[in-house]
Amino acid sequence: MADHHHGDEKPGWADTKAFRNAFLGLLVIAALAAAAAGFLPQFQKAHPHFDVEGMGAFFAIYGFAAFAFIVLAGQHLRKLVGRKEDYYEERE
Amino acid sequence: MGDNGLIPALAMNPAVILTVGAILGALIPNGFAAIRRPLMLVFVAMSAYQLSRLGLGEFGALSIFGEPVTMLRIDPLSRLFAVVFHIAAALNLLYAWHSKNRAQDFATLAYPAAALGGVLAGDLVTLFVWWEIAAITSVFLVWGPGTRATFLAGMRYLTIQILSGVLLLAGIVLVYRETGSLAFGEIGLRDAEGAIKLSGLVMLIAFGIKAAFPLLHNWVQDAYPKADFAGTIVLSVFTTKLAVASLARAFPGTGELVYIGAVMTIFPIFFALIENDLKKVLCYSINNQVGFMVIGIGFGTAASLNGAVGYAFTNIIFESLLFMAVGAAIFRTGTSKATELGGLYKTMPLTMIFCIIGAMSISAFPGFAGFVTKGLIIDAAGEAHAIWIWLVLLFASAGVLEHAGIKIPYFTFFAHDSGKRPKEAPPAMLMAMGTSAFLCIAIGVYPEPLYALMPYPEAVADYHPYAPYHVVEQLQLLLWAVLAFAVLILIKWYPAEVPSINLDADWLYRVPGRGLFTWAVAAVRAIWRLMWRLASTRFMRAMDRIYMMHGPEGAMARSWPTGFMALATAIILGLALIIAFMA
Repeated sequence: MADHHHGDEKPGWADTKAFRNAFLGLLVIAALAAAAAGFLPQFQKAHPHFDVEGMGAFFAIYGFAAFAFIVLAGQHLRKLVGRKEDYYEERE
Repeated sequence: MGDNGLIPALAMNPAVILTVGAILGALIPNGFAAIRRPLMLVFVAMSAYQLSRLGLGEFGALSIFGEPVTMLRIDPLSRLFAVVFHIAAALNLLYAWHSKNRAQDFATLAYPAAALGGVLAGDLVTLFVWWEIAAITSVFLVWGPGTRATFLAGMRYLTIQILSGVLLLAGIVLVYRETGSLAFGEIGLRDAEGAIKLSGLVMLIAFGIKAAFPLLHNWVQDAYPKADFAGTIVLSVFTTKLAVASLARAFPGTGELVYIGAVMTIFPIFFALIENDLKKVLCYSINNQVGFMVIGIGFGTAASLNGAVGYAFTNIIFESLLFMAVGAAIFRTGTSKATELGGLYKTMPLTMIFCIIGAMSISAFPGFAGFVTKGLIIDAAGEAHAIWIWLVLLFASAGVLEHAGIKIPYFTFFAHDSGKRPKEAPPAMLMAMGTSAFLCIAIGVYPEPLYALMPYPEAVADYHPYAPYHVVEQLQLLLWAVLAFAVLILIKWYPAEVPSINLDADWLYRVPGRGLFTWAVAAVRAIWRLMWRLASTRFMRAMDRIYMMHGPEGAMARSWPTGFMALATAIILGLALIIAFMA
């Protein structure tokens, strides 16, 4: 990311490629491990309330889908309710 | 407890101790402002000592117009809120340790004191009094920055808070008429036949305004962000949680609350996503979080009520922590806009770490405070076999991760580099944030003391938040949601922040409502002027005529002394007749 005010500064640790790759790598491994664990009997609920709870990766799929839906669908709300920052100043 | 008089009843009340501390603090002149907050902190300690010294029980029994009232009731429900209110009050005082704003310092303690008085109230009259004091004291925080915009927002805020108070008073009258008692206990929305009671409905709306139910919610986003960096934190804690405590007492098991809460958890997610002002994002987060609590109250089982109030306890700590971290960024950079922040991790690393701890707590990552309490509410939906509510709660959990767990730390400390290189937050702020962060982790890894504080400890005795399945389910939900975020960022589908504001329910009264009101005022003024002109021309004409007759040049003036004598005699005779007749 370009930093216009501090041009000669070294990039911060969070902006380095190494950190990003390590973070993403760990995230993918942890996510896959959690999904896989869901299929093992010792990580399953003894008496599930709903059938879907026994599906192994239900929570992973639901979490991914819910997040993606919120971001992809939610941004269109801006078209309906978004206004200029001084909207109320002009009216009050 | 007998009737021991008003003064002892007041003196023993922790809320009164805090109020006295606030007043004494406010009397300290600004030249000695440095001792104001230390003195107030001593009063918080005294109040906490008094709370623990009294233990459980009812105190301060009095009678008003022959009706018994209980000014102080410490039961497991009120004790839990009292404990966390003390923690929050102390941390808020510490956070803005060097403040020199007298009105704001006063409100920083007087407003928590009023909320404490409300949760400890054993009767409805006491509740009403503290309810109104909370409204009045808190508005000083909204007015803190002293601009026209904050003044207007404060007036709107006060109008809505007082409306809630007036409805509460009406509800109290209706409850009294129905039950003949002023005791504050379970009210319920429906009578034995299942019909909605007017008393219950009015009380529910009064509480619902303060809890920021959907469409009654927007005073939060309107007023809270107008306060300064420290005032918003204080505001974020108390009013909505006083409402949650009141709902838990009066409406446990009211099924409608499950659906109201479900809406509350969902709609703020979408508004928070598109909101550029991070303070407002956190205000939407308050709505969403209170929604979880309202659902817990609605299910009304021992476990779900534990979950609702336990979640309130932990939420106060981690939601304040997030507000404090954003507050520190505002304090150092002067802005809370996502478009103007970013990259602060380089120079504010401790604030960043504390913010991430708050974010992981609110997202309910295992090991943090949110995880050990939120599960109780989600489990309650499972126990009730309410699959849609259960799915809503899981969806809302992903939403919490989006706006509070990721958006707040990401856009403040990472994202695009704003080029801003502010200093780390001052030591007092770091101490307040560090303590909150410590509590988030401590409660997360060792929840037993919190469980023991819950209103139904026996219902939580066999609850194991770290059961392997629970940890795996939660990690699946959260990690895959984070993965979705990473994917959306990488493929550049995550929407950029835009400097804008978003309309919400307050638009109705701020624009068309204001227009209607302005029109009505103009119409009334025009009618009044017309009537005045008509009346005044008539009046002037009548005066002219009288003057013509009775003035020095007038016809009647000629025989003035005789005429006057005749009139005076007639009046005196008439009076004498009336007196004689009456006697």
